[in-house]
Amino acid sequence: MFVTEWNSSALVKAATKTGKKKNALTPMTFSLLHATDFADRLLYKIIPPLKAGMIVLADRYTYTAFSRDVSRGVDKQWVRDLYSFAVQPDLAVYFRVPIEVSLDRLMARRVKLKFYEAGMDMGWSTNPVESFRLFQSKVLGEYDDLVNEFGLSVIDATGSITDQQRVFRDMVSRAIESTGKETKS
Amino acid sequence: MSDDRGAHGGVTAGHYYGHGLPYLSIDNYPGRIIAIEGTDGIGRSTQIRLLREWLEVRGYGVIETGWTRSPLMQPTIEIAKSSNTLNKLTFTLLYACDFADRLEKEIIPALKAGFIVLADRYIFTAIARAGVRGIDREWIRHLYGFAIAPHLTFYLKIDADALARRVLERGGMDYWESGMDMKAGDDIYENFRAYQRQLLKEYASMADEFAFRMLDAKKSVNAIQDELRRQIGEFLDSDSPGRM
Repeated sequence: MFVTEWNSSALVKAATKTGKKKNALTPMTFSLLHATDFADRLLYKIIPPLKAGMIVLADRYTYTAFSRDVSRGVDKQWVRDLYSFAVQPDLAVYFRVPIEVSLDRLMARRVKLKFYEAGMDMGWSTNPVESFRLFQSKVLGEYDDLVNEFGLSVIDATGSITDQQRVFRDMVSRAIESTGKETKS
Repeated sequence: MSDDRGAHGGVTAGHYYGHGLPYLSIDNYPGRIIAIEGTDGIGRSTQIRLLREWLEVRGYGVIETGWTRSPLMQPTIEIAKSSNTLNKLTFTLLYACDFADRLEKEIIPALKAGFIVLADRYIFTAIARAGVRGIDREWIRHLYGFAIAPHLTFYLKIDADALARRVLERGGMDYWESGMDMKAGDDIYENFRAYQRQLLKEYASMADEFAFRMLDAKKSVNAIQDELRRQIGEFLDSDSPGRM
């Protein structure tokens, strides 16, 4: 088994860091930098383990870009065409949670909302919490469309971790059985 | 690909090739984009410097923008080029990111302010290089659908042998200009010629699509500059650009 996370490639780290620190990213450069990161990880971290018959667990995939970039105003079709080099996942799971629950969880952990995560670059509100609510609501709306468009499997993430994990394991087991692939761990 | 809104020809100058930046309208901006294209070592920078002087004397506001010069991406591109992790896909995307940064931070503001943007290479270099490296030609045109079609695009044309001599006189062939990343072998001279020949062929195949105005790069610097000035002068006289 192999795990890969969104926005973790060393290649684009410098540019992403500079851009985020200086709040210098536009919706387009934000989108392209993340696509570069994804391409780098696809070629080094996703395709090789797949070829070796391993299961790749991707903590976020192209759908994150589809929902986030489009919420920022990037063209919907353009971003789908951009990622057409990606490998279609065998199973894509979407952990759905209402905006208020997601905000409550972040607040409870006293997490400081990040500039881009809260969509502060959009200038919709100078209040980070309000900006987060506005921006992430839009992102969640895009995800709802993606569920139908790409057949994402939805897990209700308002429940307990144990419940979610039970459903998740069930989904993964069925997916592995149906693809009938040999797996190594 | 579900539609064809990429960087193809037939687009009115000054408009987005494809989907563009939906959040940034560029309608009726008074500035103009003049792109000078051509392979490595062809003498673009000299021509651009001379053009700039001439345009400024004529009263135009001018800015220059050049390949991989964006403050956001330049350090990353340099690091990536000096390491061995770059492949054709990430190469292509890093260039697109550099272009996007310059488009939004330099080119569009200048167009809005009525400047003439002199582009030392535009998206065509990226499209040609990607094509030679086996990137899907349709995909790269879609990718650059956010670019703006220049008002004039000049292409400095040369053959691979003449180019090889010129680059050697200038100081030598570098790794990337020789397409060494394509791993054809260790003979840099042969690789340079083979790679540049492919690149020139790719550019040539794009000439009609993107309305290149061809210039013979074997002519003297002054002869080329005269021709550039004649064609640009004609265009500006018939146009109503933002003379400062």
